[in-house]
Amino acid sequence: MTPPFPMTPPFPMTPPIRTVGVVGAGTMGSGIAVVVAQAGYRTILRDLDEANLARGLDTARGFLSRSAAKGKLTPEQAGSAIANLSGTTELGDLAGADVVIEAIFENLGVKQRLWADLDGVVSPETMLHTNTSTLPVTGIAAGSKGPNRVIGTHYCNPAPLMKLVEIARGRHTDDITYQRTLEFMATLGKTTVTTKDQPGFIVNRFLIPWENNVLRALEAGLGTVESIDLAVTSGLGHPMGPFRLLDVVGMDIHKEVAMRLYEQFRDPRFAPPPIVDRMVAAGDLGRKTGRGFYTYDDDRLFGA
Amino acid sequence: MTMPADPGSFERVAVLGFGTMGAGIAQVVARSGRGVTVLETGDDRLADGRRRVEGFLTDGVGRGKLTSDDREAVLRRITGTTDVAALAGSELVIEAVVEDRDLKAELWPRVSEAVGTGAVLVTNTSALSVTDLAATVPEPSRFAGLHFFNPAPLMKLVEVVRALRTAPEVITALTGFCESVGKTPVVVKDRPGFLINKLLMPYLNDVIQAYDDGLAIAADLDSALELGLGDRMGPMTLLDVIGLDTHHHATTSAYEATLDPQFAPPPLLSRMVAAGYLGDKSGRGFRAGGGLENPTEESS
Repeated sequence: MTPPFPMTPPFPMTPPIRTVGVVGAGTMGSGIAVVVAQAGYRTILRDLDEANLARGLDTARGFLSRSAAKGKLTPEQAGSAIANLSGTTELGDLAGADVVIEAIFENLGVKQRLWADLDGVVSPETMLHTNTSTLPVTGIAAGSKGPNRVIGTHYCNPAPLMKLVEIARGRHTDDITYQRTLEFMATLGKTTVTTKDQPGFIVNRFLIPWENNVLRALEAGLGTVESIDLAVTSGLGHPMGPFRLLDVVGMDIHKEVAMRLYEQFRDPRFAPPPIVDRMVAAGDLGRKTGRGFYTYDDDRLFGA
Repeated sequence: MTMPADPGSFERVAVLGFGTMGAGIAQVVARSGRGVTVLETGDDRLADGRRRVEGFLTDGVGRGKLTSDDREAVLRRITGTTDVAALAGSELVIEAVVEDRDLKAELWPRVSEAVGTGAVLVTNTSALSVTDLAATVPEPSRFAGLHFFNPAPLMKLVEVVRALRTAPEVITALTGFCESVGKTPVVVKDRPGFLINKLLMPYLNDVIQAYDDGLAIAADLDSALELGLGDRMGPMTLLDVIGLDTHHHATTSAYEATLDPQFAPPPLLSRMVAAGYLGDKSGRGFRAGGGLENPTEESS
């Protein structure tokens, strides 16, 4: 597969993107690595931990192989994407990266330190993408000597299947970085929306109060889990009812994201209703524990 | 009150009002093979309503959803009248007149007198209290809400609203009736917004406020929420389709009934209604007609 180049580079001084580093080999990192490798970029997945890295690479390669088995990719496409993908535990191996996509633990200090560590490694033209979902892009960018090259690129889970990426500029993100990022996303086949650097960007900003309201409706006896899911799917056309969705997301994750938004907005609509704590305490997290609002025979998450 | 032998059969149905909702509901009921009598205030309004049904059915024929024979059969089963007395013998009355409490409260006792105490009475209100309207007729235990969504022929969901005094067998019969006309019934409490609008209105208000605050342009808010949240139609487009005046009225009613700030109409919504920017119906709204001339949006 030939590496993709921006069609008409508006900024001739910037090099074409060939190599992309993805930092963090968890669910999001390995999913993003799949997207980038599939688009033809040399993709280096980095994780501090050897075992995490191996698991992330396995997940990414497994996804690509299953996509080929299901006929969603040709064997050549899957093979070439797998060949584009490599792993490392050494940050120094990202030296040649034209873009680094950060998908590590949601902790401001840890993310800032990563950018600081990368200051001495990558070129002064490397774009720094953060996949944070709830932290301020501007705050993360403050860890870098080049905050003008840091921008929020928030992928949805599962990254290989969801088309949407939210783009959020920090206070110091420059126009070149913003434009090049939009072009890069187009080469990944993603649909971008541009939003402000605000907690939750667009999707989580509206999803969390929506889910909280649905939970409150359940607690208030306005319906049952089944009747509310049925009303929302048949009345609003959502592909999945809100309780099914919470089971997929996981109650622990819903609580975490809701609390982070609540802490920043100080608006009670974001605070998780009491049922969330109860279900987390009971271990009823959803699909991953086999029980949430519904019960499940297996703990398989979304596949290819 | 005498329930039909087969709960939910309701062979003779009356619909009050031949506007958008009344026409849609009359069509749904007539398609199930039942005879429908529609009450309106004048012959011109009856003609308008019949044209609505014809237009909808003709589109359906064009899209291969039904044959022209089906269309004619459905239209034959719908009879218009301006005389309340012509509703005598109706087993089920579905009221879909303008969302005005006083108007409904004046109409119901007259209709109730014409149909007698044997008929089941339902209101398609989305914003008013069903329990309050039930108090306008003798034997309120046979009164409930049957909340269809717009466009009624296409939307599967019907909220069956249990008012404080509604008898359980009435709810059972109405649930069966909804299923027999091909709808998905969900039984809900008589609270402002019932279930779906109680969830939807705060969400729409929140999106309007965020748009006014410049979180993103209208098209990007729609794409993000279609792709990320699963909305079939993004909230800005949905508001244009619903009508900004309709949403404004509904959310204001819910706010007045609850004093819950989630329902308070955002200032931009009120201003757009004042400016005549009502969405698709006026040719201009959040997306319709290119949106606002002076959007407050300033992202990117």
